[in-house]
Amino acid sequence: MRKILLIIKREYLTRVRTKGVIIGTVIVPVLGVGSILLVVFLVGHTATQTSRIVIVDNSGQLGPAVAHGLDGKLADGQPQFVVEETVLRPASPDALQKDLRARINSETLDAYLWIPQDLDQPFELHTRNPENIGLIGPLSRSVDQALISSRFEHRGVHLDDLQTILKGTDRKLLKVSEAGESVEKGQGIAIAIALVVLLYTSLLMYGIITMRSVIEEKTTRTMEVLISSERPFELPAGKILGVVAVAFTQFAIWMTTTALLFSYGVLASWRMTRNSPLAGVHVPISLVLYAGLFFIGGYFMYASMFAAIGSACSNEQDAQQLQWLSMAPLVFCMIIYGVVLNEPASRTAVILSEIPFFAPVLMSLRISLQTPPACQIARSLTLLVLTTIAVMCASAKIYRIGVLMYGKRPSLVELVRWPRYT
Amino acid sequence: MDAIVLENVTKAYDSVIAVNAVSLKVHAGAILGLLGPNGAGKTTTIRMIMNILVPDSGSIHVLGEPVSDSTRDKIGYLPEERGLYPRMKVLEIIVFLAALHGLTQVEAARRGKDWLDRLGLSEWSDKKLVDLSKGMQQKVQFITSVIHRPPLMILDEPFSGLDPVNAATIQEIMLDMRKQGSTIVLSTHRMEQVERLCDSICLIDKGCNVLDGELRAVKQSYGKNTLHVEFTGNDAFLNHPAIGQTARLITGIEAKLKPGADPQEILKAAVNSDARITRFELLEPSLSEIFIDRTTHA
Repeated sequence: MRKILLIIKREYLTRVRTKGVIIGTVIVPVLGVGSILLVVFLVGHTATQTSRIVIVDNSGQLGPAVAHGLDGKLADGQPQFVVEETVLRPASPDALQKDLRARINSETLDAYLWIPQDLDQPFELHTRNPENIGLIGPLSRSVDQALISSRFEHRGVHLDDLQTILKGTDRKLLKVSEAGESVEKGQGIAIAIALVVLLYTSLLMYGIITMRSVIEEKTTRTMEVLISSERPFELPAGKILGVVAVAFTQFAIWMTTTALLFSYGVLASWRMTRNSPLAGVHVPISLVLYAGLFFIGGYFMYASMFAAIGSACSNEQDAQQLQWLSMAPLVFCMIIYGVVLNEPASRTAVILSEIPFFAPVLMSLRISLQTPPACQIARSLTLLVLTTIAVMCASAKIYRIGVLMYGKRPSLVELVRWPRYT
Repeated sequence: MDAIVLENVTKAYDSVIAVNAVSLKVHAGAILGLLGPNGAGKTTTIRMIMNILVPDSGSIHVLGEPVSDSTRDKIGYLPEERGLYPRMKVLEIIVFLAALHGLTQVEAARRGKDWLDRLGLSEWSDKKLVDLSKGMQQKVQFITSVIHRPPLMILDEPFSGLDPVNAATIQEIMLDMRKQGSTIVLSTHRMEQVERLCDSICLIDKGCNVLDGELRAVKQSYGKNTLHVEFTGNDAFLNHPAIGQTARLITGIEAKLKPGADPQEILKAAVNSDARITRFELLEPSLSEIFIDRTTHA
């Protein structure tokens, strides 16, 4: 035990001080929060200045309606569009187009909309930047609105009347649990998906860190020195525990930061706002505990597999070709989790979530959506623990031989045969 | 007491027999030279003594006990392939590996500093291993294998990468350790080091123990079959039918005697051929010659 503690300490201190972990601990949440804020910003601030446009209506039917529909405002209250001119049925279209192009090139005009004589033909938007979503989006909506309205009016129907008739009603979703009822605004699904992504990336990331650590000891030839002073089980066990300690350190930092952000400052006040997407977000402690248990079980199982693969390879290129063995079940979870998300209590979901290789992700997902019966959780956890022990024993045997093997990458058959050498 | 006893030890990897029914005894307090060509089975034998690999058949005893994980802590091992964490500091890595062998951190640091001082590396204790020269790294590696004062040491090519001065220092330390009662297994291809240091040898070839015993006895068993003659004048006596392969030296010749040859007859022929003899000596074969003989003519 003393030796395992020494290895854990070395592994932890070495890893936790690396630039990769320090940067990862800071950058991951910054990138996560940053990307959300960026999307929010982009959605809300696609346009920053008024666009000057000219509408040329060859049909003579839609121009004024389209111009009327361009009533959006910028963040500073200024109009998003200024329709400088609406030309109906131009006498000399070619000359007009030439003049409008010249105005765009001299930057005295941002765009002109060309409405064809036959309204079944495509409309044209001429601009210097056809990818400008802030310009194209509102213009398209206004054109569509005007066109649809025109068609209805030809048939004697007023669009406003139709919209009133077709208007549905809002839904209020309430989640029933043993703790009572809570209003569901999609936060349950959001938490479930976030949990799946977190478990998948964590199992994969920390498993690969373990594998790389083993490869590093092989390539630097430190391995033979280490295995001459430790029992075969101690080195991988210490390594795996050292890496999981790093994982928990990162989780602790991220959770503490999140808790502080949600408790104080702008996020806290936003959370209290009634219509905020963060309103009503509540992560039960039981979910954290279960997810933690399944993560630990899954991590030991997957990290053992990754460590065995690392021990069998002499370089990272070889390892990348073999690591699919460990990655495949996790990738499968990401493909199949939609089935569990839709019907967490279905027979398929129950079976899948009890298969040990999928349990860490899929059972955690089921618990977050709709807590399954205790016997199912217990059965899943027991199977996971037993499989983890079996995988760890097999991996330790492969590890014991693999760390001494250099040269060509072993085949799958050789990997299976190695435990017999010990 | 014997420090190591191997009895009929066999180890195979699928159809390849790496070690084939090897039996061997290493006396406590002795230095054994473990010899053999590349791929002969030396490393597999060492790994079985270290309990890194388990033999398919046969038994191994180390320091009176059947080999096990607990006997491993009594062995100091310097593997052929050098390797330490390149980004760890010199003293840190020494303390870490010493602690794995059961020393407390304080004791490991104290001994580590003493060893660094003894091998002239004190100034480098706070430097990362990657900053050291190959020879310095080799000395650090040597320290990590002896710091816990093991009663048995297995040193695989310990002089590799060392200049003559440092090689002599390590040699001195090894002899010093033997004096204090440690047993050393020295695996090397440098035969002159084996002749200088070892009490006994074991020559492994193609997985089999082809020759073992006390070095002096092994050499004596080969007999004095090499003739060293220094002379001036006529060299016609070198055509004597009892003389085999001959190597010319600056001052004379070194010749192999054919089996059953009588050196006196050669001396008589040399005198009769008007050669002026200044030295006429019968020599034992060198260890290199024995090695080549047993591994190429067996």
